[in-house]
Amino acid sequence: MDDLISEFLTETGESLDVIDSELVRFENNPEDRAILDNIFRLLHTIKGTCGFLGLPRLEAVAHAGETLLGKFRDGELSVSPPMVTLVLQAIDQIKVVLESLENSGVEPAGDDAELIGRLEDAAMGRLPEQAAEEVQQEPENWDADLGRELRPGEVSLADLEAAFNSAAPEVDVPAVPTAEAAPAEAAPVEAAPVEHLGVGDFDPDLGRELRPGEVSAAELEAAFASAEPEVSVAPTAELISKDMSREEALQTAMAELKGSDEHVMGEGGVKVMATVRVGVDVLEALMTTVSELVLTRNQLMQTVRGLEDDDLKGPLQRLSAVTGELQDGVMKTRMQPIGDAWRKLPRIIRDVSTDLGKKIELVMDGNDTELDRQVLELIKDPLTHMVRNSADHGLEMPADRVKAGKSEKGTIKLSAYHEGGHIIIAISDDGMGLNTKRIGEKALEKGLTTHEELERMTDQQIHRFIFAPGFSTAEKVTNLSGRGVGMDVVRTNIEQIGGVIDVTSTAGKGSNFSIKIPLTLAIVSALIIGCDEQRFAIPQLAVRELVRVGAGSDHTVENLNGARVMRLRDRLMPLVDLHDVLGVGEAYNGASDETGFVVVLDAGGRNVGLVVDNVLDTEEIVVKPLSDSLRGVHAYSGATILGDGSVIMILDPNGLAGEIVTAMDDEATIDAGASKAAEMANTQRLLLVRAGGSEPKAVPLALVTRLEEFEPQAIESTNGRLVVQYRGRLMPIVPIGSEIRTVEGQRQPVLVFAENHTSIGLAVDEIVDVVEERVDLQMSSDKPGVIGSAIIKGKATDVVDIAWYLDQSRAGNIQRRSSNRRRRILLVDADAFARRMIAPLLAAAGYDVTPTGGMHEVHAIAEAGEKFDAMVGDPSALSRIRQEGLWPNLPTLAVTDWPEDTQAEGLTAVLPRSDRGALIAALDSVSQEEKVA
Amino acid sequence: MTTHHGDNAELSAESMNEYVSVRIGDQLFGAPVDAIREVFAPQSVTSVPLAPSEVAGLLNLRGRIVTAIDARRRLGLPPRDANDAGMALGVERGSEIFGLIVDSVGEVLRRPRAELEPVPAHVDPTWRSMVKGVHRLEKELLAVLDVSAVIGSAGAKAEAA
Repeated sequence: MDDLISEFLTETGESLDVIDSELVRFENNPEDRAILDNIFRLLHTIKGTCGFLGLPRLEAVAHAGETLLGKFRDGELSVSPPMVTLVLQAIDQIKVVLESLENSGVEPAGDDAELIGRLEDAAMGRLPEQAAEEVQQEPENWDADLGRELRPGEVSLADLEAAFNSAAPEVDVPAVPTAEAAPAEAAPVEAAPVEHLGVGDFDPDLGRELRPGEVSAAELEAAFASAEPEVSVAPTAELISKDMSREEALQTAMAELKGSDEHVMGEGGVKVMATVRVGVDVLEALMTTVSELVLTRNQLMQTVRGLEDDDLKGPLQRLSAVTGELQDGVMKTRMQPIGDAWRKLPRIIRDVSTDLGKKIELVMDGNDTELDRQVLELIKDPLTHMVRNSADHGLEMPADRVKAGKSEKGTIKLSAYHEGGHIIIAISDDGMGLNTKRIGEKALEKGLTTHEELERMTDQQIHRFIFAPGFSTAEKVTNLSGRGVGMDVVRTNIEQIGGVIDVTSTAGKGSNFSIKIPLTLAIVSALIIGCDEQRFAIPQLAVRELVRVGAGSDHTVENLNGARVMRLRDRLMPLVDLHDVLGVGEAYNGASDETGFVVVLDAGGRNVGLVVDNVLDTEEIVVKPLSDSLRGVHAYSGATILGDGSVIMILDPNGLAGEIVTAMDDEATIDAGASKAAEMANTQRLLLVRAGGSEPKAVPLALVTRLEEFEPQAIESTNGRLVVQYRGRLMPIVPIGSEIRTVEGQRQPVLVFAENHTSIGLAVDEIVDVVEERVDLQMSSDKPGVIGSAIIKGKATDVVDIAWYLDQSRAGNIQRRSSNRRRRILLVDADAFARRMIAPLLAAAGYDVTPTGGMHEVHAIAEAGEKFDAMVGDPSALSRIRQEGLWPNLPTLAVTDWPEDTQAEGLTAVLPRSDRGALIAALDSVSQEEKVA
Repeated sequence: MTTHHGDNAELSAESMNEYVSVRIGDQLFGAPVDAIREVFAPQSVTSVPLAPSEVAGLLNLRGRIVTAIDARRRLGLPPRDANDAGMALGVERGSEIFGLIVDSVGEVLRRPRAELEPVPAHVDPTWRSMVKGVHRLEKELLAVLDVSAVIGSAGAKAEAA
């Protein structure tokens, strides 16, 4: 019985999905009898099966729904949205019951009397005289047998009735197959005997004809065609067992007849196709076998290629061709039309439009586009989410649409098509488009970007923020969307299956989301690369381009503090050597006679260059999962067997990027708590200087108090340290670079930094320029005195770590802070550059700094229960922390470029970012106060 | 189905343990016959950088990818001679096949079940976790391998890493 129930659950689930979408279609085309007939038949079958399986609760609900549908069908009631809603509610209720049936195996206790009452009211209450009439009109002796069970819908099938009446007497005749026949039929396990296939195929109790996972059996179709005349009697007789009540027998028989009727006519809303049901595991096993066959074939081909044996070549050609066909055929069994994933959408759209009072038309294009079952499962939810989003946020209210000069009815268009081994799914609407301003504000609020950056971004770049984690722009949480899990979840899901998602949007015109996913996860196109005598596969989808480096190439691998970079179209691209990542062989040393290849990978949206020895081939590979022992190694996503029979590993670009970012983080943390490298960019005024080498170095101008020049002889050496008399005091001078190279007769340029009434001078060779540049710290550094590197005026430039030099100048001085505990500061600033500058400055001033880039990090720290003595950072972030009540009573010092424009409410002080002295003084004073208190 | 009137040979078969005898280092081990799917000569094993050390690599066994586990590594023995590929015991676990690489494979041995003795308490804990018991043969001891333990913790280790 368990088998029966689970079979029933699968079938019914699928039927209900069909009913959902068919009902919505029906609502729009109330005149279309074919749709109604189909719905009616499906619901009727569910009811019949429930009766057979002894599920009274489901049966009652299905029955009431069917009654109402019967009225539509007989033309006694006209179809209206409230009516359809009611039927949909009945369907939903059936789903609820089914779900708990699935979990517990028994029908849950409960009462659907209220819903049934409403359905019956709708069927009869609204048109009572007609309904009453109908009852009286119920013909012949049917109601004697069936009583209330008999509904108008059933009765109307007068033609079938006659057929049934002639078959009914056979029910009690012993010649009819015994009770076992019924369960055997109702539980059509994969391998039904061939002579029963016809029966099974046409039996609605066995489920809808077209099934996912079913294999179309075109050749059987012909056989069925000839068998068809018998169908109407034979299966009926077989299905009706002695054990069934007469009522059930009638229903089964009728369902049976109607089903076959439907087939003969071939006019249903669903395409009718001859199919057999095959278990998914059988298909998977077949797929594996075929993969092996293909590989063996490839091996054979490779062996024979070198031979001159024509006797062998002929048959081998044939074997090869047949194998190819077999592979295609088996691949097809895995394919399902994308329409299967869309089936729920019309219903969802209908619900959204009813709930929100919007008028929405859903256009679906390319339903037949096929893709792998597994992929289909994985994109179902993201797609649903996106369509909901479009309906909820994208489309405007009818009145607003009219105001904007558009038609009242909004359109959401879904389309799918193939494009070079991928499937492209587009979801577009003609709504208001994405709100660029709002997204920008939200991105700022969430600490995802900075004002400066935002200004330089194109609209599309800003729109892409909707894919950032935790981003949701809904003004309010509706019951449809805006629960905070938004497009980022969609993006993650799509990326998991090796897909990409993008958005374009025009204000007032609408938005268009496009998703590109591989057709199948089982076979991917891969680049085969060589590294230290070994071969590896990289999925093509992640490869952006290939660059040859070394001898005879324009591109060279450059070193920046030991970190490898390459210039690629005016950008510095971090390079990682696969040798280093995998710990094998020797890394590419960049010597002029050595050549190498850089595979530019798209790793989490960033370009990362992977240095490999050789690029060998591209090949379609069958991805095999890794065993448990290797699943922990993130560098790989699987393994595959190449044509020559050897096993190679498939590199996982995201996993590799993970390794790279971790490596960068490690370097960065050494650097006085600075954060992730190569992330955010910002415009800064920079002082370019030359010191200790020919290449320029950059110092943020905001930190420099004054530029001075001293006569070489004014610089004196006391106690091994250089000092200069400056404004009546001795100011220590520290050279940037190794030493001061004074040139006779030339004045020594010095950058003066003032802090707490003391000044410190950094001596440089030459002051080159002041530039305002977008600083994108691309590489972090572990070299003392350098924070990282950036491209400034087209050149790779080291950014000087002022704090480190200030510490140097103080070496030997009394420890500035006498407190026995270093005070802890929480630094919150979305701007990576600001973080990197402020953190070391505060650290140098004797504070223990925890830098954070955004609220999510802050929350993580708050949850970890960390305690601080003060907070420093971006005013909006600090206000936010205040509002959320994290670390109450903590002094908050806001640092900003525009102190006069900043709301100081709730903040202890607002200070200009350029005034480091003021910040440290303020910090000192708040910690003093704390001590007093 | 148990036979109620089985003959003597069958009865004795039930009381006997069958082992595939394998040599790993200097020690003779017995792998229970029913735990072994097949014995094969590992060919062209692809090494996997970054993998746990006991994973000798991956190999292609008739179209299926087999994870080769080096028994010497697992038992903490010095590595084999580089030119010696050894032999592999195919072990099926769930849907995966593992190849346990040993030095050599000998004959199938039958030993009375009753003669299986527990592993002495002072044996190295690593070994004790992978050896189920010991049979005294005429000339030497036969250590009975717990094949799933030898394979098993390889997986567990990888997950923890």
